[in-house]
Amino acid sequence: MIMLVYAGIAIGFLILVLGLLARTQPKKSDEGLAGKDYAQCLGDAGWLDLSERIFDPSDARWLREDLAFPKLANSLTCARKRLAIRWLRALQASFDDLVRRPEPASSEAPLANSAPSWQMLWLTVRFQFLLSYALLVVRLFGPYHRLIPSFTWIPFPQKGASRIRSVLADNTDLN
Amino acid sequence: MARLLSLFPVFYSYIIYVLCGTVTLTVIYVIRPRWYATGFWFHELVCVLVEFAVLVEIADHMFQPFPAIRHLGRALTLLISFTFALVYILPAILQRHEPGATLLDFALRASVTKAVILAGLVFTAHRFGLRLGRNVAGLMLGFSIYLGVNVANFAAAQNFGQALYIRILWVMSPIAFTLCLLVWTIALWELAPMPRTDSVRPAPGGNSQALTLELARFNGALSRFLRR
Repeated sequence: MIMLVYAGIAIGFLILVLGLLARTQPKKSDEGLAGKDYAQCLGDAGWLDLSERIFDPSDARWLREDLAFPKLANSLTCARKRLAIRWLRALQASFDDLVRRPEPASSEAPLANSAPSWQMLWLTVRFQFLLSYALLVVRLFGPYHRLIPSFTWIPFPQKGASRIRSVLADNTDLN
Repeated sequence: MARLLSLFPVFYSYIIYVLCGTVTLTVIYVIRPRWYATGFWFHELVCVLVEFAVLVEIADHMFQPFPAIRHLGRALTLLISFTFALVYILPAILQRHEPGATLLDFALRASVTKAVILAGLVFTAHRFGLRLGRNVAGLMLGFSIYLGVNVANFAAAQNFGQALYIRILWVMSPIAFTLCLLVWTIALWELAPMPRTDSVRPAPGGNSQALTLELARFNGALSRFLRR
């Protein structure tokens, strides 16, 4: 049995590596997104407004509760979910473009030995992890779910709770 | 050739070591057959360690042209190596007491670890849409063939015992290594640097600080978005 498992691992590994090596070509960007540099749009207020609009649940709530159109609200939620995934993918595509930027040939000091090299790697890994998490949450729970879970249901001791509140207040001030 | 030697020093050292080791083992087999088993396992254990170093070298070359992920291959290789050493290799070795079985199990598990590292590297390159140069892709392909055959071969030796290995299975590793050498020879016939991604312009501002700032800007935007 163990022998079969290892034989399976060996065959699966060879197929995986051969398949991936054959496909290590630059990703073709989404047709609908082609020709637009989203990295430049990141600082643009309109680009962030679009995300606010996509992830804002008030439209669906208004349809469901005020106008009593639950089917229409569900349909809107589905459409927004697709848009949210598309928005996150666009963000990922522009980040990948940034990561794939080669070192300029004219660069005097190579970046290989520079101290920020590990910092850049950390920023890249952090972004990829957070974005994968956001995509997972949107796919599983839809665009209106909190991305950072609320821990209000945990009965913190009074001392700890006040400390957390003060830290949260500090963070809010910073933002 | 000199340029290739300077680009892949660990890899060429490994090839020279394998060549010298094989010749030495053959001489030992002819002159002192009783010492062959000890010599073989010593050679094999050093090979296992050097192969990890070759993987680090390949990983460095894969991501070298991209400043933002220059150390990703090395980090991934070291992370997988240490995790597998702690969780998969060490516990199995400490449980066994018979030296022959322990060495065989170590060789098997080290080969599986190297296969996972290679698969992880190729997957990461695919994930970022990187193109691999012929040299690096050929090195990875050759190693994959060698490791795939080794995993199946060592598992068969462990499962069916020494007798079958001595009669039939012993020939598998040399065949796999010869095939692997053929792939490496074709891949490293001439220097082929990692292709640049044409559609993407060079790093903004031409320095690492500007790129770090831009990466931080993306992280900041995503963090704000997650906290909404």
